[in-house]
Amino acid sequence: MEIRPILSQLMKSRTGPLLVAVQVAISLAILVNALFIVQQRIAVSERPSGVADERNVGYVTARPLRTLSHPEVLAEQQRELELIRGIGGVQSVAWTSQMPLSRSGSSGSVRADVSQTRESASPSFYTVQTPFISTLGLRLVEGRDFTDADLTEFDVNKDTEAEPPAVIITEALGRALWPGETRFVGRPFYFGTSGPRATRVIGVVERLQTQQAQAGEPGERSVLMPMRISNPTSKFAIRAEPGRLESALRDAAEKIRTTSAVPMRVTTRTMTEDRINRYKNEKALAWMLIAVSALLLLVTVSGIVGMTMLRVAQRRKQIGVRRALGARWRDILRYFVTENLIITTGGIVAGLLLALGLNRMLIALVDVPRLPLEYLAMGAGALWMLGIAAVYGPAARAASISPAIATRTA
Amino acid sequence: MLRYYLALGLRSLRRNPALTALMVLTLAIGVAASISTLTILHVMSGDPVPSKSKRLLVPLLDVAPKDSYVPGQREPYSQQSTYRDTINYLRGGPGVRRTAIIDVGSSIEPARREDPLIDVQGIGTTTDYFKMFDVPFRYGGAWSAADDERGSRVAVLSRKKAAQVFGDVDPVGKLIRVWGNDFTVIGVVGDWNPVPRYTHLINGSGGYFDGEEQIYVPMKTAVDLEVQPNGNVTCMHEAGAGWAGFLASECIWIQVWFELASAADRPAAQAWLDNYAAQEQKGGRLMRHAPNELFNVMEWMSVLKVVRADNKLAVWLSLGFLLLCIVNTMGLLLAKFSTRASEVGVRRALGAGRAAIFRQFLVETTVVGLAGGLLGLALSFGALALIRQQSKDLSAVARMDWEMLAATFVTAVLASIIAGLLPTWRACQVTPALQLKSQ
Repeated sequence: MEIRPILSQLMKSRTGPLLVAVQVAISLAILVNALFIVQQRIAVSERPSGVADERNVGYVTARPLRTLSHPEVLAEQQRELELIRGIGGVQSVAWTSQMPLSRSGSSGSVRADVSQTRESASPSFYTVQTPFISTLGLRLVEGRDFTDADLTEFDVNKDTEAEPPAVIITEALGRALWPGETRFVGRPFYFGTSGPRATRVIGVVERLQTQQAQAGEPGERSVLMPMRISNPTSKFAIRAEPGRLESALRDAAEKIRTTSAVPMRVTTRTMTEDRINRYKNEKALAWMLIAVSALLLLVTVSGIVGMTMLRVAQRRKQIGVRRALGARWRDILRYFVTENLIITTGGIVAGLLLALGLNRMLIALVDVPRLPLEYLAMGAGALWMLGIAAVYGPAARAASISPAIATRTA
Repeated sequence: MLRYYLALGLRSLRRNPALTALMVLTLAIGVAASISTLTILHVMSGDPVPSKSKRLLVPLLDVAPKDSYVPGQREPYSQQSTYRDTINYLRGGPGVRRTAIIDVGSSIEPARREDPLIDVQGIGTTTDYFKMFDVPFRYGGAWSAADDERGSRVAVLSRKKAAQVFGDVDPVGKLIRVWGNDFTVIGVVGDWNPVPRYTHLINGSGGYFDGEEQIYVPMKTAVDLEVQPNGNVTCMHEAGAGWAGFLASECIWIQVWFELASAADRPAAQAWLDNYAAQEQKGGRLMRHAPNELFNVMEWMSVLKVVRADNKLAVWLSLGFLLLCIVNTMGLLLAKFSTRASEVGVRRALGAGRAAIFRQFLVETTVVGLAGGLLGLALSFGALALIRQQSKDLSAVARMDWEMLAATFVTAVLASIIAGLLPTWRACQVTPALQLKSQ
């Protein structure tokens, strides 16, 4: 196969091929970056929350419309717990102040050393009662679960220091408090950014995302505090038998509402709903980028097809002469495919550089990591194949022109 | 001559309908992609209240502990005010009006226990809120300054909530039961939907752009009833016990606005704030001595990052896509024009100058641009409708206005002219002698 005649032909009429190469370069740059961001966003939305079998977990939130005293609130919590336990389909239920991915709840500062003035981390503060860990199905990797003896009592109208002496933390919080360590049980740490309010780790769970489920490690920094607290609002995490979650939640809400002595606002939510709401923006962006990428490829293919058709039309006579002089069908085909490969390869080389440049710009603009090489390789390969596929049709048609007809006309 | 070129152009476009359609479609898709993302960005970053945006100010003091201070750095959570500062601002702050916003939520209790509760979310504020933000009333009006002082049990409802509770009648004077107390409805807000919702960016239900306050009550009333704040509360110091401890604490949970008589009064407002902070420092507060800040509406929206980075990303990528579409159209036009060298040769030989040829082909590309613009406009409307349907958050911002309508056409025509320049220039280069000889 002679490359020289193809090159000299390309040099003679440069503009058309150059425009195709530019198109290939632009679409490669955008495509690679767009798909990389899509993959990033989808990966974020598919991170495990730490909750086992999420589709069977949900929660009921109950808020009395009257102000209740501390003992009244605790009695009401107990009453509601008993009610939910008795509902068909409920496997396990536990009182909690907040749920992962629910985007509502409290967080605060903790520090590893009492003399620190800035926090080591700002974890999510889960106030929980037993059996929270087994209800959510969190994986305890070190130490022990809470027992009822760990529960401290806290009157929101009287007490100021909320933190209990023994807590369970997530591995991510352990890593933030004590970088480089792997075992955390028995270690003390401190709440707030000042003062000697110490607590001690009695257990470590592998993972429990925060209520916001931020990107990266901070999204898994949580501390579980065993407390009976007179929060006016009660939340009950519920694990149901497979397929019975919706009905269990509905029955629980109904029962609490109808049997309460004071008017009560009761709402229910499944973890599946919370997950969808939390990642709505990520999904929307991913779909937009996928749509743009598809259009991008469509436009680029149409550009390659159009250019090949033009070059074929311009060289009908030349093709006829070559055919008459003995060139076979596949020689002609190979000529145009090779020509196209040269053009797309040029475009791909420029596109790779452009993609890296665009990635730099995006790093400054949004939270994306550096583009991995596999993406560049995959994008380049895809455009290469697409280029061959796009050129094949027009080139094959050109090659089948009969020499007699091609050379006849002016 | 223009009419003649237009006729020529149309005829030439009709001669090859597939190619013409491809060019128009490519341009239209490129224009639609960039216009729909730009529209969202344009509405998101627009000035919601041009007549006042420079003289509405948000004050911010840094109340975080001294020890953790990194000079020059505002804590990311430092966006609201303490109760103590709020009361002092309302009493003696600068400007012609001052107001505060706390987030409240509860349920309206039905007359009969069996009936369902009606949830309400809204704000505790002061009477100045309604004048400051030019809130229109459908029925009744705002409460008085005396109601603010007394903490009267009065409420203003949104139009939708009032209709949900009372039906489509004037509910002024009727009672609703919230937080265990009877509130007299004294007003119903008419249609009022600033975009972005600059008044209530923090905690505003429904995000920065959509949603509304359903109930307004005097802030004093909500505080007296110990209504738990429904929004973000950040405590950087230990708070005392109970409600009194919370009010006296350095917890920040209130949004404050000053309205100045003119934007020129801002230095005076700054001086007042600095002076106030200095007084508080004498009492042992605000030990960071950090800068005391004021933000006008546009500054405040940028502090709170109303325009998300994702929206900017979408705009950049769609502009890249438009560039691709332009290059693509350029290639197609080049192909088209190159087949018409003989036509150009004949026209040149008959006396047409290069400029005339240039004009003729430019008119033809502009026709393509206009067609692409029209189709692009239709596609943009479609894309925006799709976005509105998909995202409640974006439903208020994915709306075209006159500016963007004009921008669509300018973009389309500009894109087609840019795409047409090179092919047109090439067409002008045809040498008539050579061209005619080869015939």
